[in-house]
Amino acid sequence: MSSNSLPLALPLSRLATGDCEATKLYRDLRKPLLRYLVCLGLSMDEAQDVVQDAFLGLHRHLAAGGSQENIRGWLFRVAHNHARNRQNSYARRFGEPLDGEFESVLDEATPERIVLEKEKFRRMAKAISCLTECERESLLLRAGGLRYREIGEVLDIPTSTVADTVERAIKKLAEKCNV
Amino acid sequence: MCDFSGKLIAWLDHELTEDEAYEVDRHVKSCAECRSQVQAYQNATNTFDAYCEALFQPKAHHEFPRWLPLVVGAATAAALGLLLAFLPGPVEKLPLKPPALMASPPIVSRAAIAPNKRNQRRRGVTPMLKTVRGREGDENWMAAEPAIQIAIPGDAMFPPGALPEGVSFVAELSVAADGSPERIHLQQ
Repeated sequence: MSSNSLPLALPLSRLATGDCEATKLYRDLRKPLLRYLVCLGLSMDEAQDVVQDAFLGLHRHLAAGGSQENIRGWLFRVAHNHARNRQNSYARRFGEPLDGEFESVLDEATPERIVLEKEKFRRMAKAISCLTECERESLLLRAGGLRYREIGEVLDIPTSTVADTVERAIKKLAEKCNV
Repeated sequence: MCDFSGKLIAWLDHELTEDEAYEVDRHVKSCAECRSQVQAYQNATNTFDAYCEALFQPKAHHEFPRWLPLVVGAATAAALGLLLAFLPGPVEKLPLKPPALMASPPIVSRAAIAPNKRNQRRRGVTPMLKTVRGREGDENWMAAEPAIQIAIPGDAMFPPGALPEGVSFVAELSVAADGSPERIHLQQ
């Protein structure tokens, strides 16, 4: 799990009035949100639209006196629901092999390393395709730095279920990838 | 299967209570099987995260393609080149021609000393008053270059039929500073 976890309750007293806290929150959470949405299958343009809508919704939520607890979970839940509404692209791509696109990530790697990494990712893609939708989403949210309680709020399932789901999913990946 | 194997992933995720985490931590140090499992789970987690990042990065890079600065630079250079190539030079402004003079031949035209060869070549057209300034912005052109061209249709000087139709002559008149004629040159 990512170590850059944010505190559950951020000091957002002035967020609704557009102060620098909003900028910091946007800077910290924009990329994890985008990555989550892209991995769900949205295009980058769609993901950016969703993130923008989510932050706009957060502004309205706080301006209306909404709760400031677990803002990160709130944003991921809103983004998740927006992505769900875009059913045409949701879960379209995650789990597919990366093929040529992966090479651009490893521009400076040796050809041998590229081959090894490609093989590793090919196995990972195959393993991911064996996961249930809930398992995939749980792992993606976990990769985004969310705690089990936050993942439960986003997916609307109990925290204990999240723990079981994550454990089952990781064991599947470890077994199938043989890593 | 070790009793602690069901808590290892939650332990990695720091989701256990402090007491549970302490017990698992102590156990893992003494259990080779659990250490192996922990290593496998960590590897799976790392590979999954790297896979997500690899899936995300190419799309993120597409926001600003690497070739974009090159294309923008080349397009800017091409636009500047075209702009310089087709930039119009200084425009010579001609004074307005009085309509009354255009109607009645012969027509007096004021020109520079050098004859207006373009006008000479234009046969068969109605003679027109043509004034050409020697230099752009020279308002006192009359005093500086005292030359007058008079376009005369051929049938105004010779009997009808003596000359082919449409032939005209240009009389070039140089004027001295005091207004007296200095030189008259007639050419076809």
